[in-house]
Amino acid sequence: MRRRVRYGAFALVSTLALAPHLNAQPQSLPEGAKVYIIWPGDGQVIRRGKFWLRMGLSGAGVAPAGVDKPNTGHHHVLVNTELPTLDREIPNDKNHLHFGRGQTEARIELPPGRHTLQLLFGDANHVPHQPPLYSNKITVTVTP
Amino acid sequence: MRLISRAVCAVVPFVAFLWLGALASAQQHSHAVPVASPPAAGQRTPAPQDAYVYIGWPNEGQTLSAGRIKIWFGARNIGVAPAGVTFANTGHHHLLINVPIPPLDEPIPNTKNHLHFGAGQTEAFIDLTPGTYTLQLLMGDAEHVPHDPPILSKKITIHVR
Repeated sequence: MRRRVRYGAFALVSTLALAPHLNAQPQSLPEGAKVYIIWPGDGQVIRRGKFWLRMGLSGAGVAPAGVDKPNTGHHHVLVNTELPTLDREIPNDKNHLHFGRGQTEARIELPPGRHTLQLLFGDANHVPHQPPLYSNKITVTVTP
Repeated sequence: MRLISRAVCAVVPFVAFLWLGALASAQQHSHAVPVASPPAAGQRTPAPQDAYVYIGWPNEGQTLSAGRIKIWFGARNIGVAPAGVTFANTGHHHLLINVPIPPLDEPIPNTKNHLHFGAGQTEAFIDLTPGTYTLQLLMGDAEHVPHDPPILSKKITIHVR
């Protein structure tokens, strides 16, 4: 009896331990959905490096982070970095910019030099969809 | 038996600690989501400062071939959220075709001249037959009511042939 109680307690606590991960099921998007960078274009030369990056989305919708609606997500801009691990939360740092308020344009500032930009769509929990939706990676050159 | 009970006693607090830690980090990562409360009856949702919308494509005066025409919606200093979602500084797009601005203190009509993009879309394909059309964007809040002041694009004219 005591043993059963203990196992019960153990099972309960284990379930609770897993709970935060259970709601992170990968979300899917309609077939044919895509994200793309509207501006700048690949190879664009940008003087002084301050610009509005425009994020394009076909076949799906934008929703702020934390809003769990089917067929939606929010944009992340990857700056000078490779795609992160696609089955977990997108990192939040200066190379992985989150647009969790549903923004479709971002003010970006980059120092002179060559930079890569890529969009990666994330779900309500900042996890890429299954299959993941990301844009082509483009290169821009900033001149002084 | 006593060994098992000791092991359980040691593991339980540890697992509980991990769980709380995971919860805390999940909350941290959500960047303190600003969920606005819906406006009181008769009050419109305030527009974010400097928010504006524009038709990114097509351009003013453009002539296009009849059929499926892509229109992309630009929004600056305001985010997009699906209809029904109350979230600070967001709205969803409506495309007005060949109509004047509707009354601003009530939900935007839902007709073939007032297209709603309540799923959070930021572009659309519309079928147009030959003719001249005016296009204009109007943001609506969670309840499809324009913000105060309204967030309206320039009205453009396009030619389809």
